[in-house]
Amino acid sequence: MSVSPGDGGGAAIIAAALSFFIACAALAAEPVPRKAEACTVCHGPGGNSTNPILPSLAGQPAQFISLQLFLFREGNRKDPQMSLPASSLSNAEMNELAAYFSRQIPAAPSHKTAPENVSAGRRLAEQFHCVQCHGPALLGLQHIPRLAGQQFAYLKTQLRGFKSGTRADMDGNMTSAAQSLSDNDIEVLADYLSGLSGR
Amino acid sequence: MSVSAGNPSLARVVSRFAAALLALGAFAAHAQQPAKPAAAPTPPPSWQQGRSAEQEKSTLHPFAIHVTGKPAKELPVDKLRVPAGFKVEVWVDGVPAARSMALGDKGTVFVGNRQANNVYAIVDRGGKREVKTLLKGLDTPNGVAFRKGTLYVAERHRITRYDGIEDRLDNPPEGKVVIDNLDPSKAPGHFWKFLAMGPDGKLYFNIGAPGNIVMPNYMQASISRVDPKSGTLENVAMGVRNSVGFDWHPRTKQLWFTEHGRDWLGDNSPSDELNVVTRKGQHFGYPYCHQGDTLDPEFGKNRSCSEFTPPALKLGAHVAPIGMRFYAGKMFPAEYSNNIFIARRGSWNRAIKQGYDVYRVTLSEEGKVLKGEPFLTGFLTDEKADPPMWGRPADVMVMRDGSLLVSDDHNGIIYRVSYGKK
Repeated sequence: MSVSPGDGGGAAIIAAALSFFIACAALAAEPVPRKAEACTVCHGPGGNSTNPILPSLAGQPAQFISLQLFLFREGNRKDPQMSLPASSLSNAEMNELAAYFSRQIPAAPSHKTAPENVSAGRRLAEQFHCVQCHGPALLGLQHIPRLAGQQFAYLKTQLRGFKSGTRADMDGNMTSAAQSLSDNDIEVLADYLSGLSGR
Repeated sequence: MSVSAGNPSLARVVSRFAAALLALGAFAAHAQQPAKPAAAPTPPPSWQQGRSAEQEKSTLHPFAIHVTGKPAKELPVDKLRVPAGFKVEVWVDGVPAARSMALGDKGTVFVGNRQANNVYAIVDRGGKREVKTLLKGLDTPNGVAFRKGTLYVAERHRITRYDGIEDRLDNPPEGKVVIDNLDPSKAPGHFWKFLAMGPDGKLYFNIGAPGNIVMPNYMQASISRVDPKSGTLENVAMGVRNSVGFDWHPRTKQLWFTEHGRDWLGDNSPSDELNVVTRKGQHFGYPYCHQGDTLDPEFGKNRSCSEFTPPALKLGAHVAPIGMRFYAGKMFPAEYSNNIFIARRGSWNRAIKQGYDVYRVTLSEEGKVLKGEPFLTGFLTDEKADPPMWGRPADVMVMRDGSLLVSDDHNGIIYRVSYGKK
């Protein structure tokens, strides 16, 4: 299996460790479907990730989640942690998982944006047209993900992946948008987005 | 779902917990610097290209399909409507992103798509239909065509052939390249291709414009054909922004095609088009002139619409006509003979949505357009909602019994329209 630098995940062991301990203490808002249990080992209870390198699924648009699972299964998107579990999922199972995680309430962000990046990050989000597709509050829509409150390191990894062309892109728009981002832009954008409320 | 083999055992999880906390601390201690303006401005998303300053606050946006599909039982298929005497039913569901269709000699229905990497084959065994994943790992395999035992597939960058495919549905051969290097720039834009075999034995396909309203290069915004025997490539029509549906009039043998007009010229402008090629190499106007009579505000400044071939019929603003076929079947009433059915997959680029239907165009004996009207409706349920529809017709195909198949890529479903008791 080839490892895509765009998706990272090599250190996902950290995620499993943290999620496990938090899962023990958490109360799920609704019964967790059996299929979703395995996802929450890494993505956190109810899909609220507590690990900066792993994305939160809670409250993401269902169409976005099912699309990503599909891309993992079909090999467009590659990741050492995700490619294998996605490979055995049927389309119906993907829809079921997507529906469950989209119904979960995003937790308040644990990330604190550096004070100087609150306005700088907003400026970049407008300058680079993030708000055009992801929405004015960066909450996502239909097949477009919520960025607000998403994990910090995960956001950076995705943006670097889009910039280098290693992260699968449905229609070329994210690859195109990321081309003129500097390393510092990515740092500031991720810091800004990660501290926003996901609700 | 099985847990990834890469996930650690509980013991390893516990033993590494301390290391994990340390790592988390490192993430939290990231340093920040003030943002600098970027050197070059980032272009807006491709679907926004061509917006005017007044449209900057527009909330209009394209709709993406459910690539994992939806089962028909979860959808309001009872809302679908056809004229009296006709019947519409779900033919098969579970065909991811189902778009272009081609019919094999032995009755196999081949289905291409934009998003799923695979070509699917549907085998009908006495009314029970099986969906097979036929070809895997392709790049945007939207175009499928069938002739004399061979399946042809148009990907983003090439056309390949699969000989004797219907005898090898479970063990398909490797594709042989007919023509390659059709997408040298690999740029965003209209890179998916429709494919059809002409009465002349040549393969016809589109190369779309590389954006909403941009100057195409010499091979873009065209319909071209390639002779599969010799590999010879020719332009057939130019100035075609994007055509992802065409067919030949059963009697005149002329090539008719649908064309998507540009976005962001307003709710009612320009109209998408139904065109007919009467002379090889005709220019249909893009990017200078739209709908035969409207100069582009940027590219049309020094041009005249009289330079270009006007459409045979205006199909409505932003309705996104995709698949089209002439009806040469025997099942429908006689007045349907040599009519055109068109799948209108839009609209998104207007405030009040329209389209999302299969449209019927009636022609005279001489092949002139008489009128157009909706034929299969009910996908559009709320013209002001986001999204306004639950399904999107993408292609149409006449079966040997005269029934009409309609693909819906939004849900991965194919419907069948029949007439009378059949």
